[in-house]
Amino acid sequence: MKGNLSTKKGFTGTHDKDNRGIRNPFEEFDTFTFHKTQIPLDQIIESTEVVMDQIRRGYEKLLEEEAKELVWMVQYNTIIKAYEVAEKHVREIDYSAEDIEDFCFALENTQKIPYFIPGPAGLYISALCNYAKEEEILLKLSELKTEINLIGFRLPKGKRLVIEGDAGDFTGIGLEGGELVVEGNTKNWTGAGMRSGKILIKKNIGLHTGEWMMGGEIYVGGRIRGLGNIVEGKVFEREKLVYPGKARHPNLYY
Amino acid sequence: MLEEKRYQAIIDELWPKLKKKHLYPEIPIPKVGEVTPSAAEEEEQGEAVGLEMKQKQITLNSTFLSRTREKMTEEGVIEALLDHGITHYTFCPWDFHTHLMLYAEAKKVMGDKEMAKQVANYFIDVTADTYCVKKRFTEIPELHRVLKKGAVEKVIASLYEKIWGVDLGILDSKAAKRGHEEIVRRLARIPYLDRSRWPESMKKFARSLKPLLLEEQEEQEAIGGKGDSNPQGDHDLNSYSYEEIDQGLRDFAKKSMALPEFKDIVEDFSEELKEAGYGMEGGMGRGRGAPIDADILFYMKLAESYSIPLRKVPLEKKGYLHPHSHSPWEVGSPFQDMDIWTSFGKIMPGITQIWKKREGKGRGKIEGAPDCLIAIDSSGSMINPRKNLSYAVLGAACAANAYLRNDSKVGVYNFSDAPMGGRDVLNFTDHHEDIYRVLCKYFGGGTALDLEDLVPLIHGRKNLDLFIITDMKITNLESLIGFFAQIQNRITAVHIGENPYAARFQRAVEKKRNISIFTVKRKEDIPHIVLGKINEYFGATCKD
Repeated sequence: MKGNLSTKKGFTGTHDKDNRGIRNPFEEFDTFTFHKTQIPLDQIIESTEVVMDQIRRGYEKLLEEEAKELVWMVQYNTIIKAYEVAEKHVREIDYSAEDIEDFCFALENTQKIPYFIPGPAGLYISALCNYAKEEEILLKLSELKTEINLIGFRLPKGKRLVIEGDAGDFTGIGLEGGELVVEGNTKNWTGAGMRSGKILIKKNIGLHTGEWMMGGEIYVGGRIRGLGNIVEGKVFEREKLVYPGKARHPNLYY
Repeated sequence: MLEEKRYQAIIDELWPKLKKKHLYPEIPIPKVGEVTPSAAEEEEQGEAVGLEMKQKQITLNSTFLSRTREKMTEEGVIEALLDHGITHYTFCPWDFHTHLMLYAEAKKVMGDKEMAKQVANYFIDVTADTYCVKKRFTEIPELHRVLKKGAVEKVIASLYEKIWGVDLGILDSKAAKRGHEEIVRRLARIPYLDRSRWPESMKKFARSLKPLLLEEQEEQEAIGGKGDSNPQGDHDLNSYSYEEIDQGLRDFAKKSMALPEFKDIVEDFSEELKEAGYGMEGGMGRGRGAPIDADILFYMKLAESYSIPLRKVPLEKKGYLHPHSHSPWEVGSPFQDMDIWTSFGKIMPGITQIWKKREGKGRGKIEGAPDCLIAIDSSGSMINPRKNLSYAVLGAACAANAYLRNDSKVGVYNFSDAPMGGRDVLNFTDHHEDIYRVLCKYFGGGTALDLEDLVPLIHGRKNLDLFIITDMKITNLESLIGFFAQIQNRITAVHIGENPYAARFQRAVEKKRNISIFTVKRKEDIPHIVLGKINEYFGATCKD
């Protein structure tokens, strides 16, 4: 067919001396080859995608098991159980700190992850941080539109988690000796039930701060909206010790 | 001068090969010459710019070529620079809209205008060069090996080593040891070649590079310098033609549909837009000096993306030119007046004939569009068009465009509490900017029409369409209904959203054939408006 067409139209290429200089302009594409090499970037992107798929699947399994009706209530039992499920899935994945950050942003992309339920998502991210290879994890979340709740849950000793941006409710609850730094604000119940370790909040903090905390220190660069019922530990506001100290009523607005 | 000629000869020789390599991009043959910044400025800054692209014309800097001659072959430098320049045209940023989108994403992270431009430029360069390295045989890696590098450039060169798998002599240097590994690691995870993910990639790129850019900015401020120019050329609006800028703004307005974002970007680029001669008139005016009103430009560009139908009416037109008699065609005379029937299909002096046209009274009626008076409600119950996207202004702008496209004139009556002076009246004109300026005016008070304002605008105009766009929450709605009952002009009434007032208006005028009513709840409803829709009156010429 191609040959027929060429003869009919007279486009027989430059080899034909009878075509009086008419040249098929597409002839050179017959021999044209694309220079398409594999570069290390391809490999990096591919492996990143594979890891992200695994992390995503783990999160979806967590939702299937713990939030079947896409409703999840924050209660002591539900938190413990959901975290155990998250731990189970996270242990099977080989990932880096950057993958955790990518996952946080993927949560906002409904095409990638259709259900972003703040509670389980926060616990899953906490599990990812707690089981990460790196001792120090930096999550640049300033452009994240929603604050993640429960981030820093049970952060173990020897780990340092730095969050650029704001965090949601229940930040750093049940901290187990790790160091949690939030460059922005956090909401209510920050550091609730923490046993040891350090929480540094650069800006402001909400109500019930340090509720039932058993030890450790909370440093706040801005204002504390309200303290919770603290059992033991220290809370500083703008470098000034506010607990233990002058008797305060829980959640007193000051 | 001799050197420039030699470089030009190399380009002439390389160009066919380069064109083939890049699949024949439609750009003119590159030139050699002086590019900005000037040689004197370069001396101050210590770095020369390799190339410049203005309206698709690539110009290579002869000073830069001479300086790099010792480190790399002239052919190699020229080919690498041209590969880089052409890839900007064929892949990234590709067009002005993509450039604006990348800048907008960068701005969200960086906050600062200059830094957003800087980081967007870095992203564009990395993407273009990576594409070239992967898909074409290129000397770009070699060029990067010899280029002078600042702190950011060193990090980017480390990134190239990591993602291209080449040695640029960076990995072992001190720069890599200064804690920049983390930045490089983050940057290396970005899918630069996936166009669909560029918005998120741009943000990630900016996020990763931000600390370094802030550090560099502080250093530059401390020494009072401006920083080095990009040796591969800066990416400003000069690279785009006027039409590309116009199209880019139109696409950006349509895609973002967000007035604040559009306004922010246009204001950031206002200097460059003015420099490029981008004025306001019809979005197509040329000439410097006119200030750009971003709000008006937004509605102008957005309205261009919508087309609403306009039913024409038989109009008595006078003074039309019509073919009257023949005369012989001469070489150099226009072709469009030829009469092919009496010329026997030939173009030959002596045989070919052209029509001579005469101005005469148009007997009978010719279909055309009458002028239109647009009444727009800008009371407090309407959205302020200068703060958020107003469907009322967009709808009115689309209607105005439809009439202006048909060579008609448009008058505007913008009202809020008209009897108390809350109104603006624009007499019939075809001046786009004036029309948009009045349409975008916002009073934000009560809502009442002063019908006496409308009478002089309508009086004496036999063929005039009326277009009213409001939420119908008009205090003297009864008077308006009464007024519409008296006149025979075609009226297109558009109400924004559903409410009892609109229902009352609808019931009151439902028997009037010359009034058609449309509801706009979403922007998608705007194209469903039909201007001058009257079934009975137009049954003979236009059918629905």
